[in-house]
Amino acid sequence: MTFPFFPFWFIDVCGSFLMVVFGILCVIKAFSLRRLDPHNVVWAYLLWLSMALAFFALSRSIGHIVQHILTVTGYKHIWEILRPYSGSLNTVTFIVGGSVTLFFEGVWEIYHRIIKDQEALRDAHNKLIFINRHLDELVRERTREFVASERKYRRLFEEAHEAIVVAFPDGTIVDMNSAGLKLFGYDRSDIGKISLEMLFQNNDDFRHFWEKIKKDGSVTNWECILQKNQNRDKLVVLISGSKEEEYVERYVLWLRDITQRKILERQLLNADKLASIGRLAAGIAHEINNPLGIILGYTQLLLRSEPPDSERYEDLKTIEKHVRMCKNIVGDLLKFSRMTQAEKQIGDIHAVIEDVFSMLHHQFEGSRIVIERDFDSSVPEFSFDASKMKQVFINMLINARDAIGDKGGRVFVRTRWQQDQDAVWIQIGDDGCGISAEHLGKIFEPFFTTKPPGKGTGLGLAVSYGIVAEHGGDILVESTEGKGTVFTIILPLK
Amino acid sequence: MKIRLFLDIVLKTFECFGFCLLVFFLLSDPAFPLQLHGDPEGLYVHQIAHLFFVISLAILIYWLFRMRLLFQRGWRFIGLGALLLILWNIDAFVGHWIEGTEGVQMVIDGNRWSGTIKFLSISKTIAVVYYFAKLDHLLCVPAVASIFWGLKEFYADSLKNLHLREKS
Repeated sequence: MTFPFFPFWFIDVCGSFLMVVFGILCVIKAFSLRRLDPHNVVWAYLLWLSMALAFFALSRSIGHIVQHILTVTGYKHIWEILRPYSGSLNTVTFIVGGSVTLFFEGVWEIYHRIIKDQEALRDAHNKLIFINRHLDELVRERTREFVASERKYRRLFEEAHEAIVVAFPDGTIVDMNSAGLKLFGYDRSDIGKISLEMLFQNNDDFRHFWEKIKKDGSVTNWECILQKNQNRDKLVVLISGSKEEEYVERYVLWLRDITQRKILERQLLNADKLASIGRLAAGIAHEINNPLGIILGYTQLLLRSEPPDSERYEDLKTIEKHVRMCKNIVGDLLKFSRMTQAEKQIGDIHAVIEDVFSMLHHQFEGSRIVIERDFDSSVPEFSFDASKMKQVFINMLINARDAIGDKGGRVFVRTRWQQDQDAVWIQIGDDGCGISAEHLGKIFEPFFTTKPPGKGTGLGLAVSYGIVAEHGGDILVESTEGKGTVFTIILPLK
Repeated sequence: MKIRLFLDIVLKTFECFGFCLLVFFLLSDPAFPLQLHGDPEGLYVHQIAHLFFVISLAILIYWLFRMRLLFQRGWRFIGLGALLLILWNIDAFVGHWIEGTEGVQMVIDGNRWSGTIKFLSISKTIAVVYYFAKLDHLLCVPAVASIFWGLKEFYADSLKNLHLREKS
């Protein structure tokens, strides 16, 4: 098989020459690249690759050119000697080229990692420059935000309707909002001098609360009695507290005054009880009143026909006395149960009190009781139901007389116009036996009485309280056992 | 990952081979201290080097493809160069293989302008393949040129980026 020699020769010679040229150009370009960015590992890799290629191109092309020159000049035998060296060198260049090529993945990975680190560094650098340039402004802005936040929470703290108390682990109160100061009757100057223990009326309550909050970290919905600063008023409050340890360990307590709620609850319960008793009493009284009237009528008829000194007359008198007593009780019950609308008319309260004294004149006669009047002449005339108020004063004065008993004593009636409250205070007091603390909470309950059987029905104060409440007023009672009792009737003028 | 696994296996094989070789050296007869390298050994080494170069270039193309670098003009030229070099290696491998076949003889008759090449003792097809295989510069010159163009692109891009960075 015969082929033309020229194309073979031409391509071999020109190709070898071009290989050398491009190989060297690759190295030059790769060097230029590296000079542009000496730290770029990819350019370093491309430089190695270009050098390996140039090495390969030179080795191969020079071999080919030398072969042609020696063949043409008749020194083919010399080429035969050089040929194995040239071939071996070529083999080495392949291996070097292949080996360099294999590094690509690792080099690229390193390059990427460097780029990422560079970007992160650049970002950090830019941030630092920004912070450095705008430090004052940033600090001012942060301070503004902080102040605004502090003001917002301080306002929430101060304007909260519930008392908020902050205390250190040793119990010292370090902060208290306005509601708290008002609730406990302290000044802001007292903060730091008072401890949590001082707020509790009962030491056991405090111990229990303190142990629980220390152990569990929080206390919720816990009712106990706390006390005011000076006059030791009792307050029933609801406490929720928690332990906080953000910077310094401290305890934050939220307190709600539920005293009024408790009073209302008690009044509601009482009213409910009174309403039930009223309904029952009205039913019984209605059924018993008529037969009692008939018994009394017939007894009085029989008494007319009997001689006064006869034994039967005495018996009938006894029946009459007890029927009258029954009728009184039934009458009281009916008064208590009816709760008729008060018929208010403008009048003088002092005149009403004087009427009552006139009515009870015989009751106090011979009982060695001195009655003192201390009327405030400035008390204006105002609107009230005179007959019902008479009932109240009668009940109170009879109670005062019974409290003093036979040993004698003093009963006073004092009136005052409380202009700041726009109300009239009427105080009826005695220096009798007083009421024990145990009984004090029950005196306005219907049928509660400490009098011996037959002497009282236990309805007087209940009825009186109902009448005063109907006038929009209130009855306060102060009593010390063995020293006496003072009832204060508060009647609003409007 | 598969390539890495493959490379790991190759490395482990080399390590095992090395260990076996060590054991063999320790246990072998002292009468064979030096191995003789006969005539075809050089050709085999050369051919293995071609194969190694092909594998390396194929791995390079794989990574260029995998890393989506072929979408960039510069790397596309480098990838093309690698592909042409693979073809050149195959061409050279075939040429060397035919050369190594027993009885192949090439006679150049006449001068370089009007002369002819005669291939003796081989079939017509093999002779044609061998003739064109010998024209391997048609593959390797464009390969190296393509790599040069790739580098040129990188240089131009870098220069542009540098100017942009300086401006900013």
